[in-house]
Amino acid sequence: MGAHLTRRYLGDAEVEPDPLHMPTFPPDYGFQGRKERVMVATQQEMNDAQLLLQQRDYCAHHLIQLLKCKRDSFPNFLACGHEKHIWDLCEHQDYVGRMKEFERERRLLARQKRRAESEASEPK
Amino acid sequence: MNFMLNSMILLSIVILTLPLMINLAFPHKTNHFPAYCKNAVKLAFLTSLPPLILFVYADTSHHTTWSHHTSINTLNLSMSFKLDHFSIIFIPIAFYVTWSILEFSLWYMHTDPKIHQFFKYLITFLLTMIILVSANNLFQLFIGWEGVGIMSFMLIGWWYGRSDANTAALQAVLYNRIGDIGFMLTMAWLMINNNSWDLQHIFMTNMNTLALLGLIIAATGKSAQFGLHPWLPSAMEGPTPVSALLHSSTMVVAGIFLLIRFHPMMENNNTALTTALCLGATTTLFTAMCAITQNDIKKIVAFSTSSQLGLMMVTIGLNQPHLAFLHICTHAFFKAMLFLCSGSIIHSLNNEQDIRKMGGLLHILPITSSALMTGSLALMGTPFLAGFYSKDSIIEAMNTSYINSWAMVMTLIATSLTAIYSLRIIYFALLNQPRFPPMSPINENNPNLTNPITRLALGSIFAAFILTMNIPPTSMVPMTMPPALKLTALIVTIIGLIIPMELNLLINKLPTTPMIHTDNFSNMLGYFTHLFHRMYPLANLQMGQHIATMLIDLNWYEKTGPKGQANLHNTTSSYITSTQKGLIKTYFLSFIITIPAIFAMIT
Repeated sequence: MGAHLTRRYLGDAEVEPDPLHMPTFPPDYGFQGRKERVMVATQQEMNDAQLLLQQRDYCAHHLIQLLKCKRDSFPNFLACGHEKHIWDLCEHQDYVGRMKEFERERRLLARQKRRAESEASEPK
Repeated sequence: MNFMLNSMILLSIVILTLPLMINLAFPHKTNHFPAYCKNAVKLAFLTSLPPLILFVYADTSHHTTWSHHTSINTLNLSMSFKLDHFSIIFIPIAFYVTWSILEFSLWYMHTDPKIHQFFKYLITFLLTMIILVSANNLFQLFIGWEGVGIMSFMLIGWWYGRSDANTAALQAVLYNRIGDIGFMLTMAWLMINNNSWDLQHIFMTNMNTLALLGLIIAATGKSAQFGLHPWLPSAMEGPTPVSALLHSSTMVVAGIFLLIRFHPMMENNNTALTTALCLGATTTLFTAMCAITQNDIKKIVAFSTSSQLGLMMVTIGLNQPHLAFLHICTHAFFKAMLFLCSGSIIHSLNNEQDIRKMGGLLHILPITSSALMTGSLALMGTPFLAGFYSKDSIIEAMNTSYINSWAMVMTLIATSLTAIYSLRIIYFALLNQPRFPPMSPINENNPNLTNPITRLALGSIFAAFILTMNIPPTSMVPMTMPPALKLTALIVTIIGLIIPMELNLLINKLPTTPMIHTDNFSNMLGYFTHLFHRMYPLANLQMGQHIATMLIDLNWYEKTGPKGQANLHNTTSSYITSTQKGLIKTYFLSFIITIPAIFAMIT
């Protein structure tokens, strides 16, 4: 984690994905029946929970449950460990998913470059 | 419920003014006035606790605006208080720390003839700090900002018979004033472009880079960032309670607090964030480097404060204002405690501040020693003490951020140096044999000494845990990282403990070297004060002298003015007259040519 920055400078920058311009390949390329991620928490629910903008991600429904648990278990601040774990796990899996997307992009770019080189070197 | 929150916070502020008003109306009526001040702050702390509990339960912010306002053309100014996440949490912490420091001052300043005035000054400072923290518009914030600056000046120069104290007080005021230029720049920009100084109005519009840099300059001055930092170690000329309250916990964090207040404007401006990051990284490393070779215990803690302020600025640069605020809160506890322990040691050793003349205090001052070690461990980020929750989170956020790696390396080195100078204090002050002359028996019998230190020690141990468990999740810091990144802070701190110990054992057996340049650089504070307090004013004064004497007097008045004209005429005429031979009759014959020529022209 962080090696991508070094690889962009010291390695081959062409096969390193640019995090600001992703994805460059279709999301279902190489998959069969890949479904789009859906938000579980609705806009209205997030507005009612007064979530901050950066908290409105794919794990927002777990965060809303955590906040409700915190409110209901007040003043016991040691409660809600289970809800917190679920939210943290969701955020962790989201992070791992983003890293996997990055790695997929990198491998697809490398494969694209390899194919282009092999086509260019084929005798005509 | 909302009414209770607003009222109790405002009541706690009003309670602070009571000792001041009573002393104004009935001065010197009682010798218990200092105890009354301490009790007033204690009552204010207890009054501010229910609003904190209500905020934790309800998580709502409040803005109280008093209708009496001033209008200057189209600019409206009113007294308004912003009671949000930051102010509601900070106010009880400020009261708690001040209560402990005032109780400590009852012991430390006991023999001072003007102890009443001292307590009045501290209460006034606290009042202006609360005004700063709870202000909802920039004008009110500026009142608090200047108020804490002036009280800092009065309190640093408390022993005004000492010229060093006067110099230090002036230095504080001047450096703060340079920072205030940035604040006024931002206020002027906002008045021109936004026509309002209310934070709600400002947050709805855009602020450009110039205005944000003005705020960063203000924070540089007030929070002793690199470039405007020398006033903070010099401020140790003041009494130890002043150093504990102003120059570690409350006043110096005002600059960082200002940037935290304006975080909605900074989060989209990469220039401002990068400036804050690099400035903070430079500050934290430079001041930590200066701290490791100091011999005055208060100066070491002062540089430690400056280094932690740099770390807070780094956190602002990482776009994590809530982490910076958490570090402000936890830092207040253990830094104030470190200063109180220093004061206890200094007082017990008859005003000895040099750590080379201390030693062996572990058994003589057990409570002070325990608190000093707890505070140092908290400062180093020992797991599950106060500093861990904030400092470790900051370093994790830094490691997982897409930032300048140079700033990251500097911050990690500074974290390692933190362990070095903390170990240095403990080693020299507490361990080994005493290096001070045996005097009157040293003891900790006074509860005014032990109670505040114990109270702050409890805060250093438990406060961060309670805070992190109770405040709602605000900053979205990635929690997923490799184990090496997760343990970076701990590894760096342990390296910072082991390497100096090994070097110490090695160097003890080597012959002394005449001068080590890096040691001299660090001990002389990077030669910063020597350059900027001498060379820069000298260059300016010499330039002024040259302008006055060489340019104006010599050039304009003499060489190009009357004397120059006279010289020119003299030279020219002497040159021309040397050519004429005195043949007047022949020269008159030239009229034969000129007179007919004139007649010819006329006709």
